[in-house]
Amino acid sequence: MNSVFSNKKAIAIFVLPTLLIFCTIVLVPIFVSSYYSLLDWNGVGKGAFIGLDNYKEMFTDTRALNSIKNSMLFAAASIFIQLPLSLVLALILASTIKGEGFYRTVYFIPVLISTVVIAQLWSKIYNADYGLLNWLLESIGLSNLAQDWLGQKDTALVASFIPTLWQYVGYHMLLMYAGAKSISQDIFEAAKIDGASRIRTAFSITIPLMRPILKVCLVFSVIGAFKVFDLIYVLTGGGPLFTTEVPSTLMYTTIFDTYRYGYGSAISVFIILECLVFTVIINKFFKTE
Amino acid sequence: MKALLKKSMSIILAVGLAGSLAACSSDSSGGKTTTKDGSGSVKLTLWDQSVGNTDPSAKLLPQIIEKWNSEHPDIQIERTGTTGEQYKTKIKTSLAASEAPDIFYGMGGGSFMQPYIESGNVLEITSYLTDDVKSRMAPGMSEAIEVDGKIYTLPVYTHIANLFVNTELFDKAGAKIPTTYTEMLDAVEKLNAAGITPALIGEKDRWPGMYWYDMIAMRQAGNDAVTEAFKDPSKWDSPEFVAAAAKMQELAKAGAFNKSMFSMSYDEMLGAFNAGNGAMMFQANWVNAGIEDPSSAVKGKVKVIPFPVFEDGKGKNTEIFGGAVDGFYVSNTTEHPKEAVEFLMYLSEQLGTQGYLAGAGLPSWNIDGLDTSGLSTLDQSAADIMKTATSFIAWWDNILPADSAETHKNLIAQLLADDITPEEFCKQMAQLKPTELSL
Repeated sequence: MNSVFSNKKAIAIFVLPTLLIFCTIVLVPIFVSSYYSLLDWNGVGKGAFIGLDNYKEMFTDTRALNSIKNSMLFAAASIFIQLPLSLVLALILASTIKGEGFYRTVYFIPVLISTVVIAQLWSKIYNADYGLLNWLLESIGLSNLAQDWLGQKDTALVASFIPTLWQYVGYHMLLMYAGAKSISQDIFEAAKIDGASRIRTAFSITIPLMRPILKVCLVFSVIGAFKVFDLIYVLTGGGPLFTTEVPSTLMYTTIFDTYRYGYGSAISVFIILECLVFTVIINKFFKTE
Repeated sequence: MKALLKKSMSIILAVGLAGSLAACSSDSSGGKTTTKDGSGSVKLTLWDQSVGNTDPSAKLLPQIIEKWNSEHPDIQIERTGTTGEQYKTKIKTSLAASEAPDIFYGMGGGSFMQPYIESGNVLEITSYLTDDVKSRMAPGMSEAIEVDGKIYTLPVYTHIANLFVNTELFDKAGAKIPTTYTEMLDAVEKLNAAGITPALIGEKDRWPGMYWYDMIAMRQAGNDAVTEAFKDPSKWDSPEFVAAAAKMQELAKAGAFNKSMFSMSYDEMLGAFNAGNGAMMFQANWVNAGIEDPSSAVKGKVKVIPFPVFEDGKGKNTEIFGGAVDGFYVSNTTEHPKEAVEFLMYLSEQLGTQGYLAGAGLPSWNIDGLDTSGLSTLDQSAADIMKTATSFIAWWDNILPADSAETHKNLIAQLLADDITPEEFCKQMAQLKPTELSL
């Protein structure tokens, strides 16, 4: 078997099928999209080559800029709300509490549910006429706070962030929990003997030793925020009046509702570049620190 | 032993690889499954979007196809049904890839089909149509389906938009069913006072709100002025259309529409109306079947009336919003155009007349001699309103080019949210592209 793996030809043969599939369903479409993004094209017939005009339009169109701003806000919310929450849960779970397995499963359940189901669920919670949230507010005497959460410009964005943040808390928690569990028990025992408190242990031992997994979580959560589509699409469709629009939903409406394949492709290329750039930045950040 | 292992592994891999490649390439013919087998029988494929539970066409289509197949052993039809939004994406993709089925449903035509007609993906059927076929259509239909003097589709149903009023809620509020704009404002006030939501809009999907503005604009300016503006968009910025936008905002500010309209989808709007949670809804007669369904709480309590006229408006209540021709198209890549058109004629007429009787839509074909006693009151009143028609304007989002249609819908949402003034609304409307259709 060793000789098979030391043989370059054998390696090539093993890698080839995956490489081919990766190329045909990932790399080639990216290059094709990049080409389409330079066209003024309605999806059928011939497109006209217009250079970088689609990109220029994207960076001058207030609607597109607003969608980019929303995805940045969303990424910020993921980093500063979702990840700390996951970290706290992971640390509590990892400190061998009672019912560890039960809580781990409970927090992970939302990750397993389809996003469309989650979106439907939350749209019923937020519903202005019979929603759970308004009913709750009314039953505790705060009926003046009851409102159309997803239908108003000032609440829709926050209301649509919460379900996604909530859904993936369990996912990041599980990654961090695994990271915390893999730290050797000897170190914790040593800390205990030295008389370190639980909080002190968390900040001085657990978190620093979890750095590699924290980096992975950060990359996943930022990329997830830039790519978010299904939840926003089902929950608000980008409305009301584009307040919850993100680049991916804008791309969808541009291509399938207005037949502007070129402009839509430009947005998709932007999303890819955005994800790449931020992954590089996060990696750099973790290296220098 | 090792050498043997190496050899056998590379052979297995090579075979596997070749197999996977072959698997990718074998099905290149895709949706184009027209074949002539030994017995000389022709197989044609049909795609449609009629799969809904309460959609009468979903029951009729298989029956019609079965009858055709048994009567025409030499021309066999294979049908695939896909649900609405998915169907749109599916048919667009397959048309762009030149892998469209022989016969397919083309939504309401207009700007949905225009790019494919221009790029030659759709078969022109003008030469196949005899005067005999044309004479069996309802009056005006053969002109309505022409695109630059050429015919690509045959009509199946017609849909027109009217005001649906819940008479029970109107009685409860002591409001009069409106025939004029003033009466409408009055009814809104009384309904609100009685704690009843006057009208429902599913503005999350944006087109239900568009129906309101478009109708108001047609009542204010009259159908002729609207048609002119479609051809020359600068005319959108005129006093009539500003007045229409002002009326739309006046209604919104008077509390005519549900407060939750921006988070309510079209389906939720239907659900709310059928549950009796709103007194009015402006929609087309495709909602009739749902209202008359046994599960509906408002069955038998709903009346359908023409949209109120305006005291200061040029539009009459015989000028109708709707009349779009919904029909099937033949793909240009079909190998059997003659047989496909033959089936298209049969399907369109059969589905059009039988569907009318089943409550799917208003007829596009001659219905003299049909027994219409089984029609629901809603269908009957819609048909009666259509008989009074002096002119039609179809759904504006099908008349405007696709990107202008999106802008139009977004502007109306802004108008409803009080984000822009009626003047600003009309200035932006004047920036739209002219229609590509011949009106």
